[in-house]
Amino acid sequence: MPRSRHVPGDLAMWLFILAELAVFALFFALYGVHRARQPALFAQGQASLRLGSALVNTLLLIAGSAAVAASVRAFAANQLARGAHLLGWTWLSGAVFLLLKGEEFAHLFAAGVSLSSDDFWMFYLSLTVFHFLHVVLGMVIIVAVWLRARRGAYGAANHVGVETAAAYWHMVDLVWVVLFALVYVAR
Amino acid sequence: MSASFTKSTARNIFYGGAVFFFLLFLALTVDTVQTLPKRDNRANLTEQVARGKKLWEVNNCIGCHTLLGEGAYFAPELGNVYQRRGPEFIKAWIKAQPTGAPGRRQMPNFHLNDAELDDLVAFLKYASEIDTNKWPPNIEG
Amino acid sequence: MSTSAKAAPRPAGGPTPANMHIRFASQTVAKPYFVAAIGLFVGQVIFGLIMGLQYVIGDFLFPEIPFNVARMVHTNLLIVWLLFGFMGAGYYLIPEESERELHSPLLAKITFWVFLVAGALTIVGYLAVPYATLAKITGNDLLPTMGREFLEQPTITKIGIVLVALSFLFNLSMTVLKGRKTSISLVMMLGLWGLAIFFLFSFYNPHNLVLDKYFWWWVVHLWVEGVWELIMGAMLAFVLVKVTGVDREIIEKWLYVIIAMTLITGIIGTGHHYFWIGTPGYWQVWGSVFSALEPIPFFMMTLFAFNMVNKRRREHPNKAAVLWALGTGVMAFLGAGVWGFLHTLAPVNYLTHGTQITASHGHMAFYGAYAMVVMTMISYTMPLMRGREANSNGAQVVEMWAFWLMTIAMVFITLFLTGAGILQVWMQRMGEQPLGFMATQDKIAFFYWLREAAGVVFFAGLLLYIVSFFVGKREAARG
Repeated sequence: MPRSRHVPGDLAMWLFILAELAVFALFFALYGVHRARQPALFAQGQASLRLGSALVNTLLLIAGSAAVAASVRAFAANQLARGAHLLGWTWLSGAVFLLLKGEEFAHLFAAGVSLSSDDFWMFYLSLTVFHFLHVVLGMVIIVAVWLRARRGAYGAANHVGVETAAAYWHMVDLVWVVLFALVYVAR
Repeated sequence: MSASFTKSTARNIFYGGAVFFFLLFLALTVDTVQTLPKRDNRANLTEQVARGKKLWEVNNCIGCHTLLGEGAYFAPELGNVYQRRGPEFIKAWIKAQPTGAPGRRQMPNFHLNDAELDDLVAFLKYASEIDTNKWPPNIEG
Repeated sequence: MSTSAKAAPRPAGGPTPANMHIRFASQTVAKPYFVAAIGLFVGQVIFGLIMGLQYVIGDFLFPEIPFNVARMVHTNLLIVWLLFGFMGAGYYLIPEESERELHSPLLAKITFWVFLVAGALTIVGYLAVPYATLAKITGNDLLPTMGREFLEQPTITKIGIVLVALSFLFNLSMTVLKGRKTSISLVMMLGLWGLAIFFLFSFYNPHNLVLDKYFWWWVVHLWVEGVWELIMGAMLAFVLVKVTGVDREIIEKWLYVIIAMTLITGIIGTGHHYFWIGTPGYWQVWGSVFSALEPIPFFMMTLFAFNMVNKRRREHPNKAAVLWALGTGVMAFLGAGVWGFLHTLAPVNYLTHGTQITASHGHMAFYGAYAMVVMTMISYTMPLMRGREANSNGAQVVEMWAFWLMTIAMVFITLFLTGAGILQVWMQRMGEQPLGFMATQDKIAFFYWLREAAGVVFFAGLLLYIVSFFVGKREAARG
């Protein structure tokens, strides 16, 4: 089978990814509409966000994506231990992301910010918490694949499972990059 | 173009997706329940209102009317009838039923006494003061 | 009439039932369930016609059958006949999938009579005495659950429904546990258990109206846009496996993908009911986003049904069942998917909430998704339970006429109600000088007359459907 004509990962996962992207796309579109209607409110809210930790988080997820991509290549080359090891790095990048983001949420919640505060915080929390949960789900998938890899379920000939997990992780990463650009950077 | 498509992955996505979104729904429910005291007019949820709600239920008012837009669509919305008509009109109207006007929609007489009518009106007043995000669009409901 | 490519499968071992067209004798307990379902369906439509007339001749049958009573009977009969249909489907499908006899056919028969008698008594109660009297004599004061839309049943009936559901689920679960576990049977069981579990929220009726409404939807929405769709998917998949001969693996993996999409969009999609009932404003965004995607699984189901039929590896002689299966896909997509999407976005729903638009969507969605999937199952299984692979050509032609009459009539009912709804919104909710509710109703009466006419055609279709069961008996017996 020619490599270029092969879709990595499982079709069912791609359908799931498409649905998830559709949800995020609608959220982003509504964010844009509401932002255009209340520019002052959104500008004020955006100004209070901490760009630094968001940037670190962006780099973390990209690093996780790089690690999972390298993991797929490692499995394809039958370097099974290295592949499993790289999955661990992806998981770790997610865990640090959750720590940083969780600390920010704790801070916001302590200050009384909620989904009902105003439109900016409603969208901010909806988007980021929803994405946060996707990172959690991505980490669960990574762990599941890692456990299967440890049992020797994958090899050069068959590592679709790893590709499937990687596809999901890339989606989580991609959504975050868009979110970062739209909510944190675009002012 | 080729892609792997296995039943086990489809099954895992079904179970995983169902659990994920149900937990998310539960989280939103927790937030909603915590936020409701600011919106649901519970400060005015008196014994009388509770009695009125029960009268509303055991006479199956929802079988013709809507309340906050939910119910049957045969008779007017009553979530804002307190503002539209006022308490005295509501009581007089209920007592005057059925009109017997030929060919017109008829509301049964539910034989409510004055205390019960007050209870029902108290319930409708309470319902009308719930924060419904400015629904209905106008007083006609 | 073509004959089947393969002979009806026979059980590998075990006792051979007298009827060679069914694999396990206990599957025939489904038959009374289906008969009852159709009987109650007739009742539902008769009361629908009464209500349709009351919309234009307000005092029709007043005070004998006030509108609220007719509506309660109409909607409760719908729910009960669909439940009978699901139960019949369960009793037929689970033994076949599990490759063993039903755990207890006797229990299934007892459950049938308990459910039928309880249902009949409840309907008689609705019609015989004022609702408040029914509440009093059934002890509603002890645990008030009555008087909420679709959950009007006396509390003791609700408890009865739970017991019937538990007996049914016990019977099927034991069968599955002891037998082969297929994806179709697991999805079916998940849907049925979910149905029973979410029904328990009907016992929660707080004084707080917002909480009451919030959790009321956990029964209503999580039924029809959640667990019922699993039941529907499993039933459709079962029939498609049988009539198309397509590899079970293919059908089952698409089943999983479709119901995954259903729950991904549908669970949070509950939010489209939380726009205007006192719940926080963010539901307008969450509910709109997720419910906007709810048509996707319905569209996939349509594609799925047509694809499987196109890829069929056998020509099943039961053409009517294939037609019902395809029709379910199309009409569920139109009714639930398209007509649902029409008014699901919060800014649109602000204007359409609680109008005839909602009624139009309700009619086509319930018919297209649930009534039709039950008739698909009946159409496929009834001939088998009556000892033939398919009905005679004549009977199938009558059944297909019934299909088209009912389906087209329902499309028109939906269109007329949509027309009425658009005018209602325009006159009552838009513009400087909005009309009052009754003034608006008077102005749109013409559409209600048209709807009633379409309803009569629907009823004719339903009668023809019943006739189809008695056509060509002799011919079939010979074949």
